Amino acid sequence: MQANDPAIKWVEEPQLGLGGKMYLPMFVQGLTTTVKHLANSLSGKAVTVSYPDEEPEIANPLIYRGVHRLNKDAQGRVKCVACFLCATACPAHCIDIVGTESPWPDREKYPQSFVIDELRCIYCGMCEEACPVDAVELTSLYNLTGRSREEMIFDKEKLLSVYDATKDAEPMKSASLGGTV
Amino acid sequence: MIEALVKIAILLGGLMTAAAYFVLLERRMAAWIQDRVGPNRVGIPLTKIRVLGLGQPLADGVKFITKEEYTPAHVDKRLYVLAPIVILVAALATFAVIPFGSMIPATVFGYRLAEKPIELVVAPGANVGMIYVFALSSIAVYGVILGGWASNNKYSFLGALRSSAQLIAYELPLGLGLLGVVLASGSMDLGVIIGSQASSGIWFAIAQPLGFCVFVVAAFAEAARLPFDLPECEQELVGGYHTEYSGIKLLLFLVAEFLHMIAASFLIVILFLGGWHFWGLTGGSAEIDGWGLAWSGAPWLQGLLRIVVLMTKITLVIVGFMIIRWSWPRFRFDQLMALAWKVMLPLGLINFVAVAMMQQLQAVFTGAMGPSWLMVPIAWGVAVAAWLGITWAAPMIADNRPRRELDPWEIDSQI
Amino acid sequence: MTCVPLLLGQMDQLVRSPLCWGIVLGATSLWLLLSGGSETLRGIGKLLGAISLLMLTATLMIVGDWSSQLVFWVLALITTGGAAAAITARSPVYTAIWFAVSLLGTAGLFLFQGAQFLGVATVVVYAGAIVVTFLFVLMLAQPEGHAPYDRISWSTFAVPTALVGAAAVIALVLTSLDGLRSSEPLTSPPQIATSQQHMAELGGHLFAYHLVSIEVIGTLLMVALVGAIAIVLHGRKSRPETAPDHPSRPTTDAGLPGGTP
Repeated sequence: MQANDPAIKWVEEPQLGLGGKMYLPMFVQGLTTTVKHLANSLSGKAVTVSYPDEEPEIANPLIYRGVHRLNKDAQGRVKCVACFLCATACPAHCIDIVGTESPWPDREKYPQSFVIDELRCIYCGMCEEACPVDAVELTSLYNLTGRSREEMIFDKEKLLSVYDATKDAEPMKSASLGGTV
Repeated sequence: MIEALVKIAILLGGLMTAAAYFVLLERRMAAWIQDRVGPNRVGIPLTKIRVLGLGQPLADGVKFITKEEYTPAHVDKRLYVLAPIVILVAALATFAVIPFGSMIPATVFGYRLAEKPIELVVAPGANVGMIYVFALSSIAVYGVILGGWASNNKYSFLGALRSSAQLIAYELPLGLGLLGVVLASGSMDLGVIIGSQASSGIWFAIAQPLGFCVFVVAAFAEAARLPFDLPECEQELVGGYHTEYSGIKLLLFLVAEFLHMIAASFLIVILFLGGWHFWGLTGGSAEIDGWGLAWSGAPWLQGLLRIVVLMTKITLVIVGFMIIRWSWPRFRFDQLMALAWKVMLPLGLINFVAVAMMQQLQAVFTGAMGPSWLMVPIAWGVAVAAWLGITWAAPMIADNRPRRELDPWEIDSQI
Repeated sequence: MTCVPLLLGQMDQLVRSPLCWGIVLGATSLWLLLSGGSETLRGIGKLLGAISLLMLTATLMIVGDWSSQLVFWVLALITTGGAAAAITARSPVYTAIWFAVSLLGTAGLFLFQGAQFLGVATVVVYAGAIVVTFLFVLMLAQPEGHAPYDRISWSTFAVPTALVGAAAVIALVLTSLDGLRSSEPLTSPPQIATSQQHMAELGGHLFAYHLVSIEVIGTLLMVALVGAIAIVLHGRKSRPETAPDHPSRPTTDAGLPGGTP
């Protein structure tokens, strides 16, 4: 591209005022900002959280993307209908579902096994987005640890138990967001 | 002889410890200014006691020493090893003429330490003091340039070239800022310079504000601190002249850089901020005369007080260095050179001429040398006028917009 | 020319003097080191150089007690050794470094004599300014020393020039040595160099008795500075003529902003 190309829009730089030329006002301005932050931190308002000593405060647990859970409906049954949409949407291919015929009349299929490999998962939340019945959700549990790889592969029972553990702190989003019950 | 050895031991130990803890302070300051907490977890080894992270320097040192010391195959081995040694030796030797206090009386608690009061400087009465500091700072350039060249790496080499250009350019304003002080106090001996400020009670920062500005800016550049850290700016040069160094050799470079900063703080405090003098606290006589402490009858207390005052000032200046580091963006290289040659050099010359004229006037009218309150308003007037003159001339304001009327081959010659 | 009869007259003394053989050995060693022969030849050159330094040391008189004598010898060794290495080093960068070492030795000798200002000023002026500039030029020009001017062999001129130079040095040293031996050795440095205020006295002396020289030197430096700037400006002005002509050079300002939007 040539310098005289008509597509180039030339912007005139603003001229420096007296303060900029004298340098001192700018210097004082910069110094004030720094000292303000320094004083803030020294009075204990640093944004860092010393994690193992203190727990971080999660601003909105409903939109945090932590460990998965499998929701239960009002009768305590697993909500999942084994439609495979989450497994299809998953970019990390970490969801493995074996569907079978449902014992209940209100749906055709249900998951015989529902396994999420938490080590492969990238916590993008696509499964949550894809699910038509709001069965799989991400909780705000961020401190997920384990001693072996096997331990980190969550099966249906474990995912349901996550629901039991978190259902009081984080009620299902679907009701408030107009989803299925 | 023993006295000198003890002083050297105290100085070396103190400097190395200070350098280590100033690194910690620097990291904590950086964290605080960026709303973080900083390294606060290393405490006493093998226990779980954390004392504000005060064990961090020890951990850093152990880490540096135990890390793999990798020497790339393409370097010039002899110079590669020599460079960090040269720079550290030069940085440490600078402190031989820098006083770290005033004096200790010969008798402390009835115990006779020496024949006469001990001057707290390794080489007392060196009347070439300041030139010696200059000589060593020009030797330190060798460390940088050898390190950069021996590394056989283009980033290192560019860093070394930048560094030597910067150090050479800023030695002039540094010397000009200093010359005013030397003229007014009549000596190059740092002890005498402090004495001249203490006896008159006028620090040279008050008597020569322009010289103070020039000297501080040049000292920042000589210590290669932000906003003048072009020799090792990470965004452009990876690590600058010590890109290829690791382990203990890198540690030597980093310690030497910190020592440069500490030396710069010492010089700023001693030349312009009154050294160990503080009004109403330390007394104005160069000797330990028990001023203001007659009630306690302990002249050593006065010596101690002067050390404390000096160290407090130095710490404050270093904290200033650290705050300024995060307040200002780095200069571009052409701005750096323009600042040295077009702003600081003229300002230094104006200060030098003004001080010479004021000293002469003073000598004619009052017959006395040294700083006097009479000249302070004139000096401030000169400083403000010179600053406004530079503002008006605006040599730093470079038009960096692309020249539309020029061909690309012409733009090169415009830079 | 006066040195030739003196040289002939003292030929007898010359042949028996270790000084003479030291100088001859030193010259041989320098020649071996400079001529760029094999590693063996360079090794022999180094050995001869060491021997010649020892012989020269033996002819010098004792200047003080043994400790100051030792310091003097070490500093002198650093100075001469650095100088010899500077002219024989293969790499220009090493040459510069050895030059700096030699200057540091000189500064040490000055300090040893009590001339603080001279010693420190030597470091500031030479080691600081000149050698850094020197390094700059070396590094930017030719890091390996393969510039055309480095490849020209000067050995045709070297041998006769070295012979003449060596003869002059030997004659000068021999004629001055007698005078040196007969006079009292200096036991203490001059008063002006060691007084507490020697820098002030030095300055006063320079500006009181050598004012014209100082001003002339100052003017000379000023002229050099102006000349340098003139050269730079001249070079900058002449660049467009040497630049290639651009076919794509814009001939009209149409379409450029600044006028109608």
